[in-house]
Amino acid sequence: MPAIKLEPSVKQGLFQRVTSVFEVINLLPDELSDEEVEGLTLLLPCDVVNTLNALFVPRARRASISFGKMLGRWLEEARRAKEEGRKVILVPFNFIPELVHAFGGAFPLTSEILTTLGVALLEGQGERYWDYAMGLGIPDHICSSSTIELGSMLAGEDFKADAIISSGPGGCDANAKIHEFVAHYLGIPQFILEKPVDDSPRGKEQYRRYVYRLVEELEEFIGEKLDEDRLRSVIENCNRATELYLELWEMRKNIPCPVPNLFSFFSYGCRFTMWGRPEAVDCLQAMVDVSRERLEAGAYPADKEIARCGWLYTGYYFDFIGLHNWMEERGYSYLCDMLNLCFPQPISTESKESMLDGLALAAANMPMTHQMGGDSMSLSWLDDAIYIVKDLNANCAIFSGHHACKQSWSVVSIIRSELMKQAGVPVLCLQGDSWSRTITPMSVIQRELDQFVKNVVTKKKKRVRPRKGRAREEG
Amino acid sequence: MGPRGKAMEEVIRQSEMIENDYVKKWKSEGKKVLGYTCVMTPAEVIEAAGLLPYRIRALGNPHTEMADAHLSRFNCSFCRSCLQLGLDGTYEFLDGLIESNGCDHLRGMFENWQYVKEFDFFHYLKVPHIMTRDAMEYFEGEMELYRKAIGEYFEVEITDRELLRVMEEYSLIRDKLRVLYEIREGENPGMTGAEALAVILLGSAVPAGVFLDLLDRVIEERRDTDISGYRARLILCGAATDEVDFIREIESVGGLVVTDALCYGSRAFWTVERGGEEDPLKALAHMYLENLLCPRMFDDYYSRRDYVLAAVSRANVDGAILVHNKFCDVHGVDNVQLRMDLEKNDIPVLQLEKEYGAKADLGRIKTRVQAFLEKIG
Repeated sequence: MPAIKLEPSVKQGLFQRVTSVFEVINLLPDELSDEEVEGLTLLLPCDVVNTLNALFVPRARRASISFGKMLGRWLEEARRAKEEGRKVILVPFNFIPELVHAFGGAFPLTSEILTTLGVALLEGQGERYWDYAMGLGIPDHICSSSTIELGSMLAGEDFKADAIISSGPGGCDANAKIHEFVAHYLGIPQFILEKPVDDSPRGKEQYRRYVYRLVEELEEFIGEKLDEDRLRSVIENCNRATELYLELWEMRKNIPCPVPNLFSFFSYGCRFTMWGRPEAVDCLQAMVDVSRERLEAGAYPADKEIARCGWLYTGYYFDFIGLHNWMEERGYSYLCDMLNLCFPQPISTESKESMLDGLALAAANMPMTHQMGGDSMSLSWLDDAIYIVKDLNANCAIFSGHHACKQSWSVVSIIRSELMKQAGVPVLCLQGDSWSRTITPMSVIQRELDQFVKNVVTKKKKRVRPRKGRAREEG
Repeated sequence: MGPRGKAMEEVIRQSEMIENDYVKKWKSEGKKVLGYTCVMTPAEVIEAAGLLPYRIRALGNPHTEMADAHLSRFNCSFCRSCLQLGLDGTYEFLDGLIESNGCDHLRGMFENWQYVKEFDFFHYLKVPHIMTRDAMEYFEGEMELYRKAIGEYFEVEITDRELLRVMEEYSLIRDKLRVLYEIREGENPGMTGAEALAVILLGSAVPAGVFLDLLDRVIEERRDTDISGYRARLILCGAATDEVDFIREIESVGGLVVTDALCYGSRAFWTVERGGEEDPLKALAHMYLENLLCPRMFDDYYSRRDYVLAAVSRANVDGAILVHNKFCDVHGVDNVQLRMDLEKNDIPVLQLEKEYGAKADLGRIKTRVQAFLEKIG
């Protein structure tokens, strides 16, 4: 087959371009004034400015900078690991990166986070890489969340991972399939962690066996036995991050929600990248501190919290200011989405086995794996949806309708019916691509959200009661 | 393209019905029918229980109104079409369903079907996506649960002896289907691709004994037949394609489908049986998982590629058509790799993405096939 001619635009890979943006972010001080933010945004292209304006909104700025620095470190370490001959392993978002962090000779890079950064921070939102993948013949219904980054790798001019871990099988065909394709195309090994669609003790034990087997395979590939002390150090960081993650979750229960909408993404951004590392702990600490201060001050960006929204699957990631910030300024709290449901639990550091068992459980609890890797997709997902609604006192639920999520699309009608019946909340089903503005523009999503809240959510009798003594926050 | 004998006439006629005459007769005798969809479901166990295993199909049904209230337009239209037939009463003759995790769309189809209809007997056969020792042991356990579930619900003991008897019968069927493929793939093909698909389709909708008899008659009829008047010999690979009409349309413009790698086609029976296993359930577990040439297996692409290349060579094809239904991720991506590998081997490829059963799409598809034939013929 004739090689596809590389246009100049894909010759510079997504990883390289994103890394260069983070080199700037890494130079920022921990606190930035409004004037400094304005000066910074004057220098940057429009798509980048849009995202930075979202992140640097005063109520989120401190945590945003912390989040940015954590990701900057993540990218820098990946680059350095490659230079030093350590193995850089591409993982999907539903894999536990802490397992790779526990190896001195390896480093995890998460394809969906790279894609999200590309979409959020690059002029053109990574569309050129998607187009390149389409040019190879990849179907347009495959998932953009990974394909944008992988398209960049396929173009051959980007950072090349040494191996891929695929934890899609059992949870998502689209994810598993594109990772398999890239492994073959690039000629790199693929390690598979399948989730048996079996919630019985037998199924759980099988998954545990698979995790142990994966550890053996990684040990062989990396050429390093998993060191118990190093693993313990990583798990201790996981446990500290777990405490903060759960603290943040608890704070979301307050009415109005003191946790800025963006922190939903930031918190799982930590989970999917630097979990097990002190940087994730620092970032979560920053989010907890900001949220606690806001809780104590009764701060909320609108006069009234009108809608407490639990997002049933993914959110949208191509316009943070248009979604997250816009929502909360209208009184629509983005409490969490399904990717926040990783159910972190403290892991016993007593022995290597207790730690690996804890990691196996953590892996089974990762988003998508937990819902779609369940015995029944609809029942597992419904349980989690009800948990979001009841635990966080949501008064509505929203399904973003990411078009590549065939498994969620295939049972969302059951979720919609049962969530109304069992939890009494209405569900808005949107359609779009979570990582591409070209399917449904943000203006349409905003219109749908507005109509839903005005015509459905506010017409229902709510359990939501505003807390007394709350002050409206500007900006 | 060729003369039809009485046996083939019967096959074609029966294969065009969801509830064929043999199913009707079976039901009239008070016997039960169990539905399943994927080739990874060992039908031998169902048959050994005295039940009729029936592989769910949609036969090109283009209507999906009822199903669309449950599945979405982002789900493959084959699954929507099957669900439609499940909801509109066409599949009322089923006494239960065996779900398997073939793909995300199929899982959704089963869950919605069960949500709406609530079969009294509904068993989920969980099949690993990888072929490792751990996975095989798990699947062996699944096979035990599968036998137990059927046996307990239908109050029948599925003995090893009966299982072995049925396995031998199925083995004989596979042998005869290979003979059928020899007739089809030979220098002077004795049947069309549409006819071959009809035969295989009927095979998973009638009792084994009935099918064996029909197969013998078809083979006898076609052994010396010589199809002529085609422009090119083709292999058809890809997704759940039970649309005989679709192949008929390809053949109507001169592309004779002399072999295939379809899951309703050769992949349903092209099995290498492993000897030496005394426990029939274990033997079945190995046979099904080790021969599962489906892109839902995530560490086995090269086996699928080699399987296709072997068929290409055996049938001496002039070109390959790779087809998948819109939104089918597993075949959609696999076909890209397969296209690249076939082209590396100098096999011209036409890659088609289509809606299942959509007659409106046929004009476009025929035009593309014609153009492809112009190129290679």
